[in-house]
Amino acid sequence: MSFTVRREGGYDIVQLTGDVDLSCSPDARRAILSSLQQGHHTLVDLRAVTYIDSSGIASLVEGYQAARKLALRFGLVDVSEAAMSVLGLAQLDKVFPIHASLAARLAADGAAPGAG
Amino acid sequence: MSGAAADLPGGEPGAGLLAALTQEFASTLDIDETLRHAVDRCIAHLGAEAGSIFLLEGEQLVCRACAGPVDIRGLTLPAAEGIVGQTVKRNEARMARDVAREPSFAATVDAGTGFVTRSILCVPLAVRGAPLGALELLNKRGGDGRFGTADLELATTVAAAAALAIHNASMAAALVLQERVKRELELARQIQESLLPAPRDGGFAVHGRNLPAHEVSGDFFDFMPLADGRVYFCIADVAGKGMNAALLMARTLGLLRCLARRVATPSTLLAEVNAELCETTPLGLFVTAVVGFLEPLSGKVEFANAGHPPPLLHTTDGDWRRFAGSAPPLGVVDGQEFPTQRVALAGGALYLYTDGLSESRARSGALGASGLERLLAGVAPLDAALRLDALLGAWHAAGYAASDDVTLLVIDGAAAADDAACLLRRRVLATPTVLAPLRAEFAAALRGAGLAPRLVDELVLAVNEAACNVIQHAYGAAGAGEIVVQISNNGREIEIQVVDFAAPAPLTDIAPRALSDLRPGGLGTHFMQTLMDHCTWRHLPGDMGNVLCMTRRLHDLSEARGA
Repeated sequence: MSFTVRREGGYDIVQLTGDVDLSCSPDARRAILSSLQQGHHTLVDLRAVTYIDSSGIASLVEGYQAARKLALRFGLVDVSEAAMSVLGLAQLDKVFPIHASLAARLAADGAAPGAG
Repeated sequence: MSGAAADLPGGEPGAGLLAALTQEFASTLDIDETLRHAVDRCIAHLGAEAGSIFLLEGEQLVCRACAGPVDIRGLTLPAAEGIVGQTVKRNEARMARDVAREPSFAATVDAGTGFVTRSILCVPLAVRGAPLGALELLNKRGGDGRFGTADLELATTVAAAAALAIHNASMAAALVLQERVKRELELARQIQESLLPAPRDGGFAVHGRNLPAHEVSGDFFDFMPLADGRVYFCIADVAGKGMNAALLMARTLGLLRCLARRVATPSTLLAEVNAELCETTPLGLFVTAVVGFLEPLSGKVEFANAGHPPPLLHTTDGDWRRFAGSAPPLGVVDGQEFPTQRVALAGGALYLYTDGLSESRARSGALGASGLERLLAGVAPLDAALRLDALLGAWHAAGYAASDDVTLLVIDGAAAADDAACLLRRRVLATPTVLAPLRAEFAAALRGAGLAPRLVDELVLAVNEAACNVIQHAYGAAGAGEIVVQISNNGREIEIQVVDFAAPAPLTDIAPRALSDLRPGGLGTHFMQTLMDHCTWRHLPGDMGNVLCMTRRLHDLSEARGA
């Protein structure tokens, strides 16, 4: 797995690429929490995730919970099919705000200002 | 003092000589060279015509160094003979001022060399009272031609230093020898290990384990599929331990393996090997063995026993049958017959073992066949390949230790019938980096079995989560142990078994959590329980590890979950 963080549309966008499993989910977790701890709204882009296991999902859950505590916006964008089926398995597809793209997320933010 | 040695002016008597010799002794392990220098210096310093050092080698004294007109190196004397012999035997110095009057003088040496001995000073070489040999000096030059007390004192001091140097050098030589023997034993061990059959994957019916008591083992087992579909197997125990047993082991294993391809029955196999061993094996060495053939389709086994402990059959009802043999070991009675015994496994398992296992002891006493049956019953639910590792783990955990080689073989009726069921078994180190290759291998095996891509993904996730649980929780920070993962497909359901060898996990801790309880941890167990129809956790007997068994029925293949 590799990840990149970029700044766009008022968000830190953490893009994860490859297999997110126990061997690398601690890195993903650090990347997500680091953006949030700097006070940035954060989105995780999962378009290039080929595989994710429970430890990867757990990193997303931690991000979601940290964002709520810090009153920051958090969500997932462009979720790959592989990642979506595992999110569904954890019944988390209805918990995380999930959007097809950053544009869709920004449009939704505009329609419902202050949404978390 | 009369006949004083040529001491250095103003110094201690012979201090310069002693200092030079001591330094030479300390700086070299080439003992012959050093001793020659010592003799040279001694005769020059004491003004002797000749000198020699004799060392004890068995019952003889051998001249290892000499100086003077005649080279007598290699000369041997009977250990108790002559002045040298007397000096060594009594461990005290001798001075013969006129050898013509000395009854113990061995004139034969002079007769052989032409040297005329007039006076002798001979001092023993010994370390902590153990005799090594003697330093002999001949014919004092000048004066009255006799050695004096000062000569004796100096020679005694030189002898003490020389004895220590000889002792050190022989210790060093012994160390070198010991190292070489160790290296050769290690090579022998490697070769011997390579003679045993490689462990089989894929639910093979025959599995064996061998724990040598020393570097090399007198025990062995073997198995191989034959061209006609039968599987040959054997277990054997060569009398004795160590290198001679190991060499006979290699020979017997080779003979059996070669003949097993050609003979029809275990009786014939044992009879032929017995004839060969009776003819060629040194007296007193013999081999106990059970050899046989398994017919995997029917689960029928034929075997013959040469003086080996009785094979044990564990039936599917949980009963035990013992098959005592009546024939003596191989290599004892020429022309001996070895009756064939027959058993139908009917899903049960036949265990062969060496007495190193049944006679192993714990504080409670020897294991015995009954104790072995008890331990085997505990691991019976496991697959055959796992069962032997688990048995040895439980055996060890129960405090048993062997003083002899331990060998164990199983011929498993369930595995024989189930040969095709196992898709893949892997034994890997419990670290996160093994996960990706493990997933790839299992995905390939499951796709190869014709399962739908979606089901393959789900089963691979279940394997991944089970392995993650072990990596994160079972071994913890104590460092990684191993995980064994196996997937089998019997046509009705997929079964995944994940075994670890960590401390037993409290079974109540593995409960799934409520989904509303949104926490980062504990998802893995939820995933497994959602993906699979049944997940059961249990401990290996003897608290030697944990087994997770998950099954997924195949009839809902079409109604892929979560779709």
